[in-house]
Amino acid sequence: MPDTIFETLGGAFDPELFWEYRGVLLPGLLYNFYVFFLTVGIAIGLGLAAAVLRLSPNFLLRGFGTVYAELCRNAPEYVVLIWIFYVPPLLLSVAMEQNISFTPVLAAVIALGLSSSGYFTETFRAGILSVPKGHIEAARALGMSRTLALRRVVLPQAVRHMLPEAMNQLVSLFKATTLVSLIAVPDLLYQVSIVAAREGKALPLYSGAAIIYFLLIFGFSTLAQRYSNPWREKSR
Amino acid sequence: MNPLETPWIRILWRNRDLMLDGFVVTMQVTAIGFIGAVLIGAALCLVWMYVRPLRVPARVLIEFFRATPIYVQLLWVNYVWPGVFGWPNSVFEAACIALAVQSAGYLAETFRAGIEGINRGHVEAGRAQGMSALLIMRRIILPQAVHTMAPSIMNQFLVVVKSSTLVAVIAVPDLMYRALELTAIWFEPIGILSAAALTYVVVITLLSTLFKWYTDRVRRRYV
Repeated sequence: MPDTIFETLGGAFDPELFWEYRGVLLPGLLYNFYVFFLTVGIAIGLGLAAAVLRLSPNFLLRGFGTVYAELCRNAPEYVVLIWIFYVPPLLLSVAMEQNISFTPVLAAVIALGLSSSGYFTETFRAGILSVPKGHIEAARALGMSRTLALRRVVLPQAVRHMLPEAMNQLVSLFKATTLVSLIAVPDLLYQVSIVAAREGKALPLYSGAAIIYFLLIFGFSTLAQRYSNPWREKSR
Repeated sequence: MNPLETPWIRILWRNRDLMLDGFVVTMQVTAIGFIGAVLIGAALCLVWMYVRPLRVPARVLIEFFRATPIYVQLLWVNYVWPGVFGWPNSVFEAACIALAVQSAGYLAETFRAGIEGINRGHVEAGRAQGMSALLIMRRIILPQAVHTMAPSIMNQFLVVVKSSTLVAVIAVPDLMYRALELTAIWFEPIGILSAAALTYVVVITLLSTLFKWYTDRVRRRYV
């Protein structure tokens, strides 16, 4: 029995197999990064917009921002992904009376962007609130407009405060990009499942995929922590 | 047109038992996964803090669980574990384990932070009174740490609820699986998928509102 366990453990990771299929696996990993970077843009843009709305003095805008952020945060990513992939294209098709469908990448980027923008809203809000009120009043007293004060005074300080938290969000977002294989975006996990089916070897391939993702994410989050914490301290 | 005659409403109504079963499976997977996560997380945390020789393996496990996406872990547990450990034997068990180990990594960190956050003087006072380590843990550390850890633990519960939607991928018949099944049969994605999504959003919003209310109350009372 111990023998078989060690044999299977030995077969649990097989770098040669990965090297053999590098032609499909590497582009797959690039797809993860591709979706990730597109999504980051959307998530940060929407998150900042919603955070500004949430802090607006107008209660309608504030309410809208709050509801938006809550909705995005409370919907499971997988559910959003499937919903965006199937429902809006159909609604648009009916509305515009022509056949519309989203490419998997587009649906993935929209869905993940919406999902994580909810978390970014909270991060931005906390960051903006951490800027002392006196700074904003000083900027306003100098005749800066609200947008200029936001851009020149609030955001540069807020970004420093929220950086560690934002890094965590980025790490979660990268983890979420593995979901896109479920709507047939050919990312690493998608390719791995295809190769696993063809080779009939689930063991080394899924373990290998887990190890690759672990190394990437662990490496990134360690680096992010090391560099973002001192940067935040410096601003105090 | 009578709204009850809308195709997707009729489909959902006729298959209400199926959907309800799916909802129950979602609750089961979530509950078992979360309880497993608390137990495994506590074990990892205690081993890491108090069992010197096993410190490194515990750390590696915590980091591995934390830094792998839940979907990858789900597939890994489902396809790899039966070959290596001869277990789990069903997709349901695999789903529970994957959810449990994923959250266990996060909870272990929460527990560690909670325990380390206790004023050292309190622990030393307990020791000076001749309390055993176990008694100190039970009477001094845990009652205080529970309040500081509660928000993260509840947050992690919400994460488990959200991740539980993914178990549909390995054919555990949860709510999402049933919704996809009905969609594939009747091709009414707008109504059926929206209904499923709405169910999740409503449940999670209710839970998070409840947790937020509780957290605020505790904070007002103790901080």
